[in-house]
Amino acid sequence: MELKNRKLEDNVFFRARAEALAQWPTGAQINLEEGIAFQKSLPVEKSLPSALTAADAEKRTLLQPRSGSVLVDRHIQLLEYLREQGGADVLSTTIDSYTRQSRFREAQSGIEESERSGKSMLNGFPAVNHGVDGCRRVTESVGAPIQVRHGSPDARLLAETALAGGFTGFEGGGISFNIPYAKGVSLEKTILDWQYVDRLVGIYEEAGVAINREPFGPLTGALVPPCISHAVSIIESLLAAEQGVRNITVGYGQCGNLIQDVAALQTLRELTREYLHRYGYRSVSVTTVLHQWMGGFPQEEARAYSVISWGSVAAALAHATRVMVKTPHEATGVPTGEAIVQGLLCTGQIISMLEDQSMPENGLQQEKEIIAAETRCIVDRCLQLGEGDIAVGAVRAFQTGVLDVPFAPSRANAGKLLPARDNDGAVRILEPGALPLSKELLDFNRDKIEQRATREKRKASFQMVIDDIYAISTGRLVGRPR
Amino acid sequence: MNSTVLVLGVIGADAYPPGYHTACHIFSRSGLAVVDLGIMVTQAEFAAAAAQSRAAAIVVLSPTGHGELDCRGLRHTCQQAGLAQILLYVWGRLTVDPQPAELIDARFNQMGLDRTFPACAPPERLLAALAQDLGTAVTAHTITQ
Repeated sequence: MELKNRKLEDNVFFRARAEALAQWPTGAQINLEEGIAFQKSLPVEKSLPSALTAADAEKRTLLQPRSGSVLVDRHIQLLEYLREQGGADVLSTTIDSYTRQSRFREAQSGIEESERSGKSMLNGFPAVNHGVDGCRRVTESVGAPIQVRHGSPDARLLAETALAGGFTGFEGGGISFNIPYAKGVSLEKTILDWQYVDRLVGIYEEAGVAINREPFGPLTGALVPPCISHAVSIIESLLAAEQGVRNITVGYGQCGNLIQDVAALQTLRELTREYLHRYGYRSVSVTTVLHQWMGGFPQEEARAYSVISWGSVAAALAHATRVMVKTPHEATGVPTGEAIVQGLLCTGQIISMLEDQSMPENGLQQEKEIIAAETRCIVDRCLQLGEGDIAVGAVRAFQTGVLDVPFAPSRANAGKLLPARDNDGAVRILEPGALPLSKELLDFNRDKIEQRATREKRKASFQMVIDDIYAISTGRLVGRPR
Repeated sequence: MNSTVLVLGVIGADAYPPGYHTACHIFSRSGLAVVDLGIMVTQAEFAAAAAQSRAAAIVVLSPTGHGELDCRGLRHTCQQAGLAQILLYVWGRLTVDPQPAELIDARFNQMGLDRTFPACAPPERLLAALAQDLGTAVTAHTITQ
């Protein structure tokens, strides 16, 4: 099928739907009308869009952990524990790595071995294998909105199961769940498969059921310059809106320089709204989520709390609508429920202490202008490459390196761009590859990194990048030579 | 002199653990010839790459907690590919539930893997183990932190 940024026609959608539902036997349980009726039967306090609208009006930042257990009862217990003991406002059903790759047979083995051994053999909730009934047991039992978080290049059956199962938020997108998560899947295919997911959400919306969608902002989570993640989020928002999505949360992964982080989150919302309005999607609600540091964490719990706290400060001062909370076990393993609660309590303390404060000017406006100008250069070039069609433009942009995500494993990604921190720890562009920034913006980035190189008495090089990648886990933000 | 060959990749999983690229770089500059297989690597792909490159060791990254399921049978797969003596290391978040390192090590040893390393182990620790197990000159460069 030819890729275009056009709403999927019913005959195309329903033909693809038969194929999607046949991927695993639980797909046969799914009935669209009945799923919509089930969603309408849920109380409003389980609606993620409603929670986001209320928090946005009150300028509150909602706390959300990541969490997923392999068996339904244990998953329910975990989510209720995080809500009651950790004060989570929004909960996550994190999907296991096999399901994310549509390896449902291996997920089934993991469920069976977990039941036999009493140990968790999967790193998340295998929603497709549990089917609509298993999902509904979760959404009926837990007293808060639940978002499905994953990393699936093809999420069609997962989305069908999750929406009919009563989940009211669904993470991901055709770029953000391909480039950082897949090796050899074509971008055309993932964008088409995610147009299906967005069209499904659009059908629920048209029937009166609000569902939140969230493009995955942090991408590879390692020194991603804000303009790169912003461009991807804006493109995925435009693609989603065309299919009928009306409630979008755009995300950003904390980089570590407070001014840059606050500027980035504020700019992300402003720019997403600007592009949605420009292309006629005026009724789409846009909120934000800040992801606490997604790179390597220190091993010691006390130091991990400092990293969590610093992300919480950025979320609070930027007035993010939601904050994705990390745990003190981040460096060592899959976190326990107790560790997730500790991360929530640590974050909740900072968020409530800072809720009445905003970021002072102090360079904020200049940073916002830089991020906005860089992002516009990229998104506008993508639109040009696609001759006005952003789906086509996104594919061509990756082919030509106009969009280039640092450290991404996908063969569809050029991998020429290299980031590095400047003297103040802000993430800048060391090697731009084919990134279409103006000469002025390229000079700005180069000068910022040169200032650091001069202070460190060394040349800006890949060694600087390596030092930056390990810096936070070894106690610093900027990877200075010692 | 030919370099010692190391095969490196992420087994069955959908993302790079933080620092994967830099680990490749650090292994390469220590004098090893690194065959980088990237993500979503199957057991058969590890074995085939090791056989083709005459590798001395395979380092399997497993960041998801699924290490036990993903690595079962890897020793057998290597033997089938004619790699009877190859050194097998696994590095990452190896279980979902927290367990003592000695138990994890013992379980993976039983499965035929030679050494396990937690996700937080720096690449230098693997280099030191490789130098010891292979008896070859592998220079551990220190990260400038």
